[in-house]
This record gives sequence, C-alpha cells and structure tokens, in this order.
Amino acid sequence: MWPQLKQLLLTRLRFRESWILFFVFGLIMMNYPFISIFNKPTQLFQIPILYLYLQVGWAVSIFVIWLFNKANNEDDRDGAPKEGP
Amino acid sequence: MLQPELVIGVSLLYILLLFIIAAWADKRQASGRSVVANPHIYSLSIAVFATAWTYYGSVGKAATTGLDYLLIYLGPSLTAFSWWFMLRKTVRICRENNITSIADFIGSRYGKSQRLGGLVTLIAVLGIMPYIALQLKAVSTSFEILCGQPHVSIPLPGGGDVPVGSSALAAGILALFAVLFGARRLSSTERHEGLVAAIALESVVKLCAFLVVGIYVTFFLFDGFHDIFGRMAAAYPERLDHLTTLGDPGEVSYASIFSMLAISMGAIMLLPRQFHIMVIENADERHIRKAMWLFPAYLFLINLFVMPIALAGILFTDSGAGADFYLLSLPLKAGHPWLALLAFLGGFSAAAGMVMVESIAVSTMLLDHLLMPLLVRIAPNGWFPGLFLNLKRCGIVLVVFLGYLYLNVVADKYMLVNMGIISFVAAAQFAPAFIGGLYWRRGNKSGALVGMSLGFILWFYTLLLPSLIQSGWWKSRLLEEGLFGIPLLRPTALFGLEEFDLNTHAVFWTLLFNLGGYLIFSILMPQGEREQEPAEKFVNVFKPREEESWERKRFSKPVTIIQFADLMAKFVGDEQANSAIAAYLGNREIDKNGRVSEFELPTLKRFIEKTLAGAVGAAAAGAIVESYLSDIGSRMESFYDVFRTVRTSLEESRESLYFRLRASEIMSRTLDLQIIIDDLLELIRTDFGFNLVLVRLATAGGVLKVRGFRGIDIRKITRTDWVAAVDTYVGEAFLTNKIQFENDVNHATKQVSRDLMETAGVRSFAHIPIARQGESPIGILSVFSQDIVGLFTEDFLKLLASLAGQLAQAVTIVFEMEARERERKAKEQALLENARVLRDMEIAKQIQRSLLPTTPPNLPGLQIAGSCLPAAHVGGDYFDYFLREDDTLDVVIADVSGHNVGAALIMTETRSVLRAHVQQAVYPGELMRRLNEVLYEDLSRSELFISMFYVSYTFESSLLRYANAGHNRPLLLKREETECSDLDAEGLILGVLPDVTFEEKTVQLGPGDLLLLYTDGIIESQNSSGEFFGIQRLSRTLKLRRDDTPDAIISALFEDLDEFLGDAPPDDDITLVALKLAKN
Repeated sequence: MWPQLKQLLLTRLRFRESWILFFVFGLIMMNYPFISIFNKPTQLFQIPILYLYLQVGWAVSIFVIWLFNKANNEDDRDGAPKEGP
Repeated sequence: MLQPELVIGVSLLYILLLFIIAAWADKRQASGRSVVANPHIYSLSIAVFATAWTYYGSVGKAATTGLDYLLIYLGPSLTAFSWWFMLRKTVRICRENNITSIADFIGSRYGKSQRLGGLVTLIAVLGIMPYIALQLKAVSTSFEILCGQPHVSIPLPGGGDVPVGSSALAAGILALFAVLFGARRLSSTERHEGLVAAIALESVVKLCAFLVVGIYVTFFLFDGFHDIFGRMAAAYPERLDHLTTLGDPGEVSYASIFSMLAISMGAIMLLPRQFHIMVIENADERHIRKAMWLFPAYLFLINLFVMPIALAGILFTDSGAGADFYLLSLPLKAGHPWLALLAFLGGFSAAAGMVMVESIAVSTMLLDHLLMPLLVRIAPNGWFPGLFLNLKRCGIVLVVFLGYLYLNVVADKYMLVNMGIISFVAAAQFAPAFIGGLYWRRGNKSGALVGMSLGFILWFYTLLLPSLIQSGWWKSRLLEEGLFGIPLLRPTALFGLEEFDLNTHAVFWTLLFNLGGYLIFSILMPQGEREQEPAEKFVNVFKPREEESWERKRFSKPVTIIQFADLMAKFVGDEQANSAIAAYLGNREIDKNGRVSEFELPTLKRFIEKTLAGAVGAAAAGAIVESYLSDIGSRMESFYDVFRTVRTSLEESRESLYFRLRASEIMSRTLDLQIIIDDLLELIRTDFGFNLVLVRLATAGGVLKVRGFRGIDIRKITRTDWVAAVDTYVGEAFLTNKIQFENDVNHATKQVSRDLMETAGVRSFAHIPIARQGESPIGILSVFSQDIVGLFTEDFLKLLASLAGQLAQAVTIVFEMEARERERKAKEQALLENARVLRDMEIAKQIQRSLLPTTPPNLPGLQIAGSCLPAAHVGGDYFDYFLREDDTLDVVIADVSGHNVGAALIMTETRSVLRAHVQQAVYPGELMRRLNEVLYEDLSRSELFISMFYVSYTFESSLLRYANAGHNRPLLLKREETECSDLDAEGLILGVLPDVTFEEKTVQLGPGDLLLLYTDGIIESQNSSGEFFGIQRLSRTLKLRRDDTPDAIISALFEDLDEFLGDAPPDDDITLVALKLAKN
C-alpha cells in the first residue's frame, strides 16, 4: 500500500503543474484571509500560534521541495526526459 | 567591552582567512578541479541573501513590529518552488548568451538595448545605496557596541592619532576587500570561483555565529523556547500579543504582508548580487535542484532563534531600545565578550559578503552599460584592458562610497530593515521586464523602458525622497503639502492613497505603473527587428533547435580572422584573444586569404561578441563589433529576400517546398530532356527574378556545352562553351563539385570570370554543379542577376543545389534510357543477324548433307555404309563413293582442317574436283597428286589443309589400291585374323606443297574382310574425364561386330561413342565408312 502510494506521489510531483500548485498554495496560506485563521493572540504549548504556524509551515514547505527534488532525481534515474518549461 | 585593536585584528585575520580560501579556490579552478562547483557551495553562496539586515535587523524587527520579519525569508523560500523552471531557464539563457549581469540580461533580451541596460544600471546603483549603507551601519554600530566607542584612532607615522569613524573604516576595508576579490585582474570569463568560495565560507560563519548565540540565549540564559515565551507572556502579555500577531492598523496590515512577500520574492533573484551569484556564478544547472531546499533550509535555520533572542532582549532590557543589536548586547550583558566577538564576526561576514558581491556586480554593470557605450566611441587601443580593470575598481569603490554617503545623510534615523526595503522595492522594478522577458515573447523594449522608467521615478518619489526628507537632511514640506502644493501628489499618499504604510504604498504605485507601462507599451508599440531574435531565443531557450537559425545577414565586405583577433586583443589582451580564436577555429576551413566562408562569418561575429561579452557585457560587445565593422567599411546587410515575403521559418520552408514540388512536376511530366531543361530554367528565372539562367552539360570530351537558357541572351555567356578549368568559376564548380557563387561581382577573384561578368553587367551569380548525391557532376546550372547584390543565402543555394540534384537525376534517367534503347536495338540487330546466319548455316548444312552420298551403291559381293556426324552445322569431313566403269569402286574419306563454313566450302570444291578427275581412270596415287596440284593454290590461300584417304577396289581381282594424304590409317580386319591391321602409305596432306607424289599401295582382300575408314573425330573424342575414345575401342567394336553388316557396325560405333561421351557433345566432325566383302 505504502510503496504504491509513494510511487504515485513521486510520479505526480514530477508534473510541472504540481510545482505551480504548491507555489500558489503557499502564497494563499501566507496571505489574507487564510492567515487570519491563525492570527490570534492564543498560545499552543505556551508558544504563540501564528509563530508556530509560520515556522512549522515553513519547515513543511522545505520538506515538500525536498520531496520534489527526490521525485525528479528518480525521474533522472529512470532515464526519462527532464521536463522543461 | 573589548579593545578596538583586538576587534580590528581579529577581523583582519578573518579577512586573511577568506583570502587564503579564495586563492585556493581560484587555483583549483585554474587546474580544473573546482571545489566550488557543487550544489552545497552553490546553496551556501546564495545565502549571501542573508546580510547584516538578516543578522541584526531581523531581531530588531521581531522586537519592535513582530512576526513580519519572517516574510522577507518566507517569500524567497516560496520562490524556490519556481527555481527549477525560472532560475534554470535564466541560467541557460545567460550561459548561451554570455550574459554578465541583470542589466545585461534585460538589455540583451530587448534587442541588446544600451539604453535599457543603462536604466537598469542606474536603478541598481541608486537602489542599492541604502542597502550598502545598511551594511556599513551594521558593521560600525556593532563595532561601537563591542568597543564602546564610535571612532578608531589610527596612529600617524609622525606621531599623534587621527580618529576615523568606524563606518568610514568599514567602508574602506570593505571596498578594498571587494576590489581585491572582484577586480584583481581582467577576465573574459564571468565566473569567479574564489569569490564564491569566500562567500560560502562567510555564509557558514554567519550561520554558526547566529546559532551559537541563539542557543546560548535560548538554552543557557533561559530554559528553552517555552521559558522565553512564558516569561514574556507573564511580564508583557500585551506586547507579546502585539509581536506575535499581524494586522495592527498602521503598522502591519494584511496588505503590507502581501507587499513584503512580493518584494522579497522579487529580491531573491533580481538584486544584482543575487542574480550574480545564482545565475552568473552557477556552475551547473543541476545544482539548482539541491539548492531549492538547501537554501530555504538555511534561511529557516538562521531565523530559528530570531524571536527568542528578540524576546530575551526585551526581557533583559525592559524596553525595545537598541533591538537591532541584541545579538551583541545580550552576550555582553551576560559577561561573555568572546561570544559577542563571535557574533560580531558573523555580522561582519554577512555585511562583507553582501558588499563584496553587490559592489562587484553593480560595478560590472556600471562599466558595461554606462561607461562602455561611451568608451567604444574612442578607437580601441592597447591600453584598453588596463583601463577597464581600473574603471571596474573605481566602480566598486564608488558603489561603496555612495552607500557611505547615504548612511551619513539618512540612516542614523532609520532602522536597518526599513533601509533594506527601499532597495528591495528598487530591485522589484526589474520584475516585469525580467519575467515578461522570460515568458512573454511580445514583451518589447518600449514597454520595458517605459515601465521601468515609470517604476523608477515613482520609487524615487515615494520611497527614496521621503527617506531623505524624514531623515531631516532635506528640509522640505513636500511630504505634507505635495509637489507644487498639490495634496494629491504627496509622496507618501500619492493620488490620495492613504490606507497603506510607506512601503506598501510605494510597492503598489511603482509596480502598478511599471507593469502597466510594460504591458501597454509592449502591446501598442511594434517589436523592433533587432529584438525579435533574442526574444525568440530567450523565451524558447529550452526548445530544441533543429539547426542553427538561418542567418539573414551578410557582410558587405568580408572580414579576416586576423582583423577580428586584433579587435578582441584590444579588449581582453593578446593572450586571451589568441587562445579564444584558436579554440573557435578548431578544424574550420580557412582560405588562403585568412578568411572563413561567407556563411561562417556571421557565426564568427557572434563568437567574437560572446567572447567580448565576458569582458564588457553582451550589449557593449555588440556595439563594439558593430562600430568596428563600420570603421573598416563593412556592415551587415540583409540578404535579398528571394521569396519577396516576410515570413517565419515555417512558412519559408513551405514556399521552398512548393517550388520544389513544381520543379518535380516539370521533371516527371516528360522524358524529353530539352523540354525539362527549358521549363525548369523558366521556373527558376520567373520565380527568383534572375536575368539569365542556363544549363550546361558536359560532353564526353569534358566541354561544358550550353544546353538551354532562359532570360536575356547575353551572347558572351550563352554562346560560350567552356572547357572545365579552374580559372573560371564555372570550371571550378564542375571540377570541385562545389557551388561557386559571388554575392557581389566586385569581390570576385577569378579575373576571367570577373571581366566577363562586368562586361555582361552581372552583379551576382552562382554556378551549381548538376550532380547526383556522391557522384561527379554532369553539368552546371548557372544563374545570373544584373540587379541584385547579396542574393545567395545559404538556404537559397541549398534550394538551388537540391534542384540541380533533381535535374541531374532527370538527365541521368534520360541518358540511361537513351543508352538502353541503343543497346536494345543493337541486340535486336545482332539477334536478327544471328538468325539469318543460322538459317544460312542450316541451308549450307542441308546442301552439304546432300553432297554426301545418302545410300551406298548396291553391289554384289560388297557391302558398304558411310555416315557423317558434323560437330557444327556444317563440317569439313567428306566421304564419297565412285563406281567406275572399269569395274572398280573408289571410296574416299577426307577431313578439311577446321569445321566451319570455310572448311565446308573447301570440301565442296574438293568434291567437285575429285568428281571431275575420277572418271579419268587413274590410280589413287596419281589422282591425289593431281588433286593436290589443283587444290594447292586455294588451300594455301585459305590456309586450310586436307587429309585424305583414297581406296580403289577392283571387284574382279578383289585388290584394293590405296593412297594416303596424311589421313588416319583405316582399320582392316581380315576374316582369318583376330586383330585389326591398318593400311598405310606415304603421303603429305594436301595443300602443303604444290607438287607431291603419293605412295600407292595395294592389298589383297578376301571374303568377309572388313575395312573401316574414319576421320580423327571419333578417336579424338574426349569424355568429361579427359579420356580419348582411341583406336583401341574402335578396333574392339570392330572385332565384336565383325559379322554384322557395315550399317550395323557404324551404328554400333556411334552407340559406343555416345556411351563413352555421356553428356559431352562431340567437338569435331565424325565420319565413318565401313566396307565389307561378302563371305563367299
């Protein structure tokens, strides 16, 4: 189950559309109105929620790029042609 | 507090370390073992983005306005998603066009525009001022905090001290540092590995320093993140809420979040230093991939402790004062000066890295785009390379100095972050032209110029000017009253827009006008001719090009390689110029005048431009080459457009395809060569507007003979048949099987042709060999134009050559058909002849057969049989019987040498002569003598001989007389004997000598005796194993069949022979005559 899902995910991440999707997604998550959800003076584990949201979101986005990178590296290994704009 | 000397000493030591690293990296690059060309160093060098602003300013901002400090890093981090497409594309474009800076990029994209490059440079120089100032301020303030004094006393040699401001000192050191790193020597390559190595090391140092201080503050001064946030919440709950939420009116609105994100996203690639490091210094496109997550990870790490340090600072100082430098003040307050020194070094690294790369990048732009356009107006000179180098150094110093100036004017009143944002907004002005240039083919120079100019003016008015006014340097009421006292023109609330903060307001207006101007003017104004090619090349850089795009230009006067090399040497020095030219030439063909082919020249020109671009920028390189060409009286001219339409290359090939189609039609319509040639010439002439087109075909003697022409009858051309020789172009074309052409008769070098062309008024011509692929030519297709110079482009000649190839095919087919027809007729004739001969031979055979006795005479007491089997249709064997009146029977057997018609004729003659003499009642010897006498002349004339055996049998006495003329001896089998004996008599074969006597012998025969006369055909018959039939077999059969009739004996002999020969046919005439006396 998991290897198949992983393979599917990696394949999808090779699409140029996936990159644009994540880019737009990231842009939305950092702007109004989305960001107003977290823009509240409350704390989670004593840490302000917006600060936590931005830091964790950032880390996640780096992880996603790392995944992209991995997907495309496998792409190279398969000998498939690289996608170009 | 630390001693200033200590701080300066450590800083200098650190700089020394950087130098060692840089020198080492340079050395490794030179030896081809780069330490820099890997994704990790690449990612670290991109981290030059994190400057003193990040290092100190983030903490300051976090402590005053809160979380919005993160946006400056979240934006770039987000753009990493686009790097694999946008950054990689930019890198590819820059590599293919030898682009040296962002100004070069934008200038080159829009038709190598000098004005655009200059505008970008101007924006960069002014825009970067606050940013440099920020670094200087950071270094000097941090020094001040660390040492407690704003001045450094420098001892003079003559005694006494001169106090130097720390910011001036920092500016001096950093400028010197940048000059040493970036402009030590002139280079025609734009990559500086030493610089990159130093930057990467600085990135490591600043990250480590920040992390060390962060960990110390968070985990040693406090008890982790919870502790800091918890204590803050307890001590200043309202302040914490303020700092950890966004959207307070007037300070951090949602609009400002968006604008901060937007400009930081632009800044990561568009700031001159970022463009330099990410694009120009990129060693391999694949490094981008890893940098895409490594760089955001770096930013993440360096920001991890910003908030804790900021909050710790507030808790420690109970206020937000001096928040920019908590990183130094916290360790100092906690009594750890060494930690503070480490933090200082980190900050120094961040500032130095930024100043170095920025000033080098901007000074390159200054030199290439502001100074070079002026410099190229003076004639190039030997001291140019040195001048460039010094100008570049001056540029670096100037950039740093401008920053210093701005610092002294403005910056003391501003926080670090705010100063940085002014620069970010300036860099964002490049965005529309840059991104449009990458993806929008229609984006043009007018749009870019107008958009960027509007953006720049508004940036100056809404951002830079207010910073000067607010700092109090310029006392003006402009901010309150607006330009000319019009409130709507207030710089901070332009057109009455008051909702936004200063930065967002500026971002909104500058980008609105910039983008609007770019789009509207791009759509309104046409794209210049010079812009189209780069636009296509930039936008479709990844599209594989089947072949190098057809060069549409030619040189009006050819330029030699030496001339180009001299030009290059003036800009990059002799050594580099020569090695570059040598590398380019490789195995290209050069003629004896030191020229490459006409079609090669534009490529060479492009190469020269590319090489120069490394030293002076692409736009200036183009201008240099242009101006050089005009100096020597040559210029790029358009080729005459043979199709007389403006088209893209796709349509172009369609037209030529259509032309080929019609040509093919002509050639397949008929097999009449003259019609094909005439129609084809008419097609070429009318379609391309030649004045004269003609076809010459080579004769067997190598003369090129005019087979047809169309157009003006220039008799000197159309009535001249040339013997192919190299002193004419047509001869050369025929002999070398290469197209010979001259786009301008004035440049023709073959005097004979040139004179002829000039008297004929021809201005350009081409001779195309008519040849099939890989075969030698069979003729020449010549085209002449009296009106147009520069008609023959490479593709046009290709088209004509393919036409000539088709014609060659047609000519060859017609020639081959004619040859086949001739051959067929000859064969038919031969067959007819053969048939006639065969028929004649058959008749001859019939006649010859009829000449031989068919049935033997019926005689009492004697049985006789004879048979002849000719090998060919007619033969030279002969036998006959004559029954004479004197009661004798004569039997003759003869063999004319050869068995052809000649032999047959001689045989016939022999028969006639013999028959005439037989009745004269002479004996065989005498008969043969007479025969020889009569025949000798004919025989010797025809070089033939006859062997003959003649017997004469007298019935009464049973006596057999015989004579022999060199014939095979007949076999006699007497009844009482068991073995055969042979009859022999002396005698020469007939036809050797005129007078011969023949011995005549007799033998007495008895009843049952058997005599066999034969020709050599039977005994010399050879079977397939090479064995002869021989006399043995003959006599054996004779003995076996001795009781049979002569007929049966002969049949038996033939059967034996058949059996012996098997499949092999007899190769000589075979004649047998058997004679048998009755038994009683």
